[in-house]
Amino acid sequence: MKKKFLSIMLASALALSMIGCGSSAVSGVSEQKDTTAEETDSAQADNATTTDAGESSGEDLNVMLETPVESLDPQQATDGTSFEVIADYTDGLMQMDADGQAVNALAESIDVSEDGLTYTFHIREDANWSNGEPVTAADFVFAWQRAVDPEVASEYSYMLSDIGQIVNAQDIIDGAKDKSELGVTAVDDKTLEVKLNVPVSYFLSLMYFPTFYPVNQAFFESCADTYATSPETTLSNGAFVLDDYQPAATTIHLTKNPDYYDADRVKLPGLNYQVIQDSQQALMSYQSGDLDTTLVNGEQVDQVKDDPAFKAIGAGYLWYISPNIQEVKELQNVNIRYAITMALNREAITTDVLKDGSAPTYTAVPMDFAAGPDGSDFSADQEKFKEVCRYDADAAVEYWNKGLEELGVTELTITMIHDADDAPIKVAQVVKEQLETTLSGLTVELQQMPKKERVQRMQEGEFELGLTRWGPDYADPMTYLGMWVTNNSNNYGFWSNKDYDAIIAECTTGETAMDASARWSALYDAEQIVMDEAVIFPLYTQCNAELISTSVSGIEFHPVALNRVYKDASKN
Amino acid sequence: MIHYFFLALLSFGVAMKKYVLKRVITAIFTLLAITLILFILMQLMPGSPFNDEKLNESQRAALYAKYGLDKPIVIQFFHYVINMFKGDLGVSYKISKNTPITQLIASRLPISIGVGFAAVSIGALIGLLLGLLAAFKRDTVWDTLATVISVIGVSVPSYVFALALSYQFGFKLDWFPMLFSAKDVLGSSVLPSVSLSMFTMASIARFTRAEMIEVLGSDYMLLAESKGLSGNKIVFAHALRNALIPIITVLAPLVVDLMTGSLVVEKIFSIPGVGSLLVNAIQSNDYNVVIALSFIYSAMYIGIMLVVDILYGVIDPRIRVAKEGD
Repeated sequence: MKKKFLSIMLASALALSMIGCGSSAVSGVSEQKDTTAEETDSAQADNATTTDAGESSGEDLNVMLETPVESLDPQQATDGTSFEVIADYTDGLMQMDADGQAVNALAESIDVSEDGLTYTFHIREDANWSNGEPVTAADFVFAWQRAVDPEVASEYSYMLSDIGQIVNAQDIIDGAKDKSELGVTAVDDKTLEVKLNVPVSYFLSLMYFPTFYPVNQAFFESCADTYATSPETTLSNGAFVLDDYQPAATTIHLTKNPDYYDADRVKLPGLNYQVIQDSQQALMSYQSGDLDTTLVNGEQVDQVKDDPAFKAIGAGYLWYISPNIQEVKELQNVNIRYAITMALNREAITTDVLKDGSAPTYTAVPMDFAAGPDGSDFSADQEKFKEVCRYDADAAVEYWNKGLEELGVTELTITMIHDADDAPIKVAQVVKEQLETTLSGLTVELQQMPKKERVQRMQEGEFELGLTRWGPDYADPMTYLGMWVTNNSNNYGFWSNKDYDAIIAECTTGETAMDASARWSALYDAEQIVMDEAVIFPLYTQCNAELISTSVSGIEFHPVALNRVYKDASKN
Repeated sequence: MIHYFFLALLSFGVAMKKYVLKRVITAIFTLLAITLILFILMQLMPGSPFNDEKLNESQRAALYAKYGLDKPIVIQFFHYVINMFKGDLGVSYKISKNTPITQLIASRLPISIGVGFAAVSIGALIGLLLGLLAAFKRDTVWDTLATVISVIGVSVPSYVFALALSYQFGFKLDWFPMLFSAKDVLGSSVLPSVSLSMFTMASIARFTRAEMIEVLGSDYMLLAESKGLSGNKIVFAHALRNALIPIITVLAPLVVDLMTGSLVVEKIFSIPGVGSLLVNAIQSNDYNVVIALSFIYSAMYIGIMLVVDILYGVIDPRIRVAKEGD
């Protein structure tokens, strides 16, 4: 009798455990393989029914983050995620408008001296920290001095020295001068004066970069070493207040700041960040209504591309192939380089392989991040260099044969190194296929490796072709063109051209730097040299495929500095 | 008679103490060796913890100087070990800049241990039941089913279970949350714990079955049955108890497997545990975090092995004698 009872118990336990694991696992895996359009439809239906439930917990915007925040200390942070969260609760002197232009934020008005070397910022009277203290010019002085302090060793100190050209910044970084000698002074509580070495045409647009955000010294010192590691150790002067955070957190929450000077503009009651590092989990969370926006991985694009919520957001990154011109004899031949760049079908890469809205690019500076004195995009004209950079299989073959002849060979084997990530792997395979198909006698060998290793090998010149990318640090073509001067650590091909170096120097610290439109056209001349010599083979300007719920509007996306701004965002 | 027993107990105590002491000392040196190897391996990793692309040589040098990474590896190692004994594991260079690692781990280790403990419990319990069922219903359809489940559990990696369970029970059926949530720790730990428990469950089931079959066929079971003992008593007092001894020993390596499985599963469910922290740290060359977490993992591994060895020695004196002979 008892034996019988036991066996029944065991049997039912077995049955239960089977429902719990075995069967579901098998069906789950098989369904996963062909996630079809049908499934997306049903998911949308699910979404429609679950949004109501979501609303009961408030109107907070639920945003997916790909990576955790690295640091909320504005002078220590370097990554897009950290910048975005810092900017949610901190205003700089300037902020970005929807088009990425610098507009006044904490600065009420700005006086620029005639020689362009002195900027005087007048700070708003109604700008306050969340502890009630007013935001003062001294807060900026303290923060900027931290940014160049060798003891702080900020990774973005070059924003003040190389890029911002603030007086004495470089000497302080090098330890030659004391940080108190930085060219920034608090004239009075609300007046900040900044002195530059040379006129910097894009200086105001640097002011929305978190490295330049203010820090209240008294508060900073009261936190000792724990500054910006918890809601209690951060101060807000912006649209939101941080109320849930811990280092490397997977969830972060911010609530609207009622004391913000521009509080009427802010419609969201709060922001809810969720870190999700698995793309399937992210998509399912979006589809079940737990997220209002999510990043879509390359393989998922087909599944969701007809969804009205699907959007391609410009990420600013230029992907390009860098040939090692110094070390590889074959790549020193400019005809070989022309042949390669013209054999690349960039359209096919973006439309057939990436499918995320990325744009084919035929210029050394990517599109849509740097607007000139007349307000137009630096790289709007993609046919500017069509003589030397286009897709033209016939011309490619011609250059190829000429190059082979000059080298006295009939066959070439070139290796290309690339990151072991989703997109670069796929792009590298297509590049290999396109080059080998068009250029007979060419073999491209691919080597994939972790990004850190790839970057190191390129910096040390241990490569032939390298598939790489570069994101803009500030809204000026110089963030790209500055890379190819002699001995720059990102001039992977070790290319060197005196004329080019001269133009870049002239545009950075010379006479031309004073004249915005002359500088603009000189930068075009520099880009022309890079393209004429095929120093790099540009591929595409990256877009991120995102799903943004149709009930959400007003999120501003930017390829530079602050990737997403929520000040005008609303959710119905 | 009593006299002899007392003597035996006394000698057991002394021998045991010596054995334990020897094992503990070995464990400490093993851990030091692991830390040194980790230091050397870290040095060999390409790139730095810092933003390699955007920094020039002098900036990188400044950062290396700030964190003492410019010193010879041996000096770094000794500094690290000395600080470690003071309870200072250094700060993170990248994934959570300048945060003390002890602080990072303090909030995360309990979460990982919680999920891991749930996984072991679920796995061991269900595995045991499955194994018993298979043994008692040997060569029936139940046995085959239990075997099939075991094979699936052993061969399918935990992250596949994680994604499948999340899809079925999180997304389709909406029974459990898909992501870890601090507001609903219990509910949101179900899917990760179950995914992690699969391997344990399957291994225990297979082991229990084999052991039970062996025990059930042994002479003393025949004796017990011929004494006229009832079914229940035979199963629990004699068969199960004897079968459990070897099962306890396999549980230890399974707990360790669980820790490695948790690396991926934590990432999938966005669990703020040490596993996901380690994955992120490795990807960004965050030396101190990698070393500290690897050290903790190694210490746990060695600790578990030590406990099991000692327990095993206590349970079965033959082992202790054999080891002493080494």
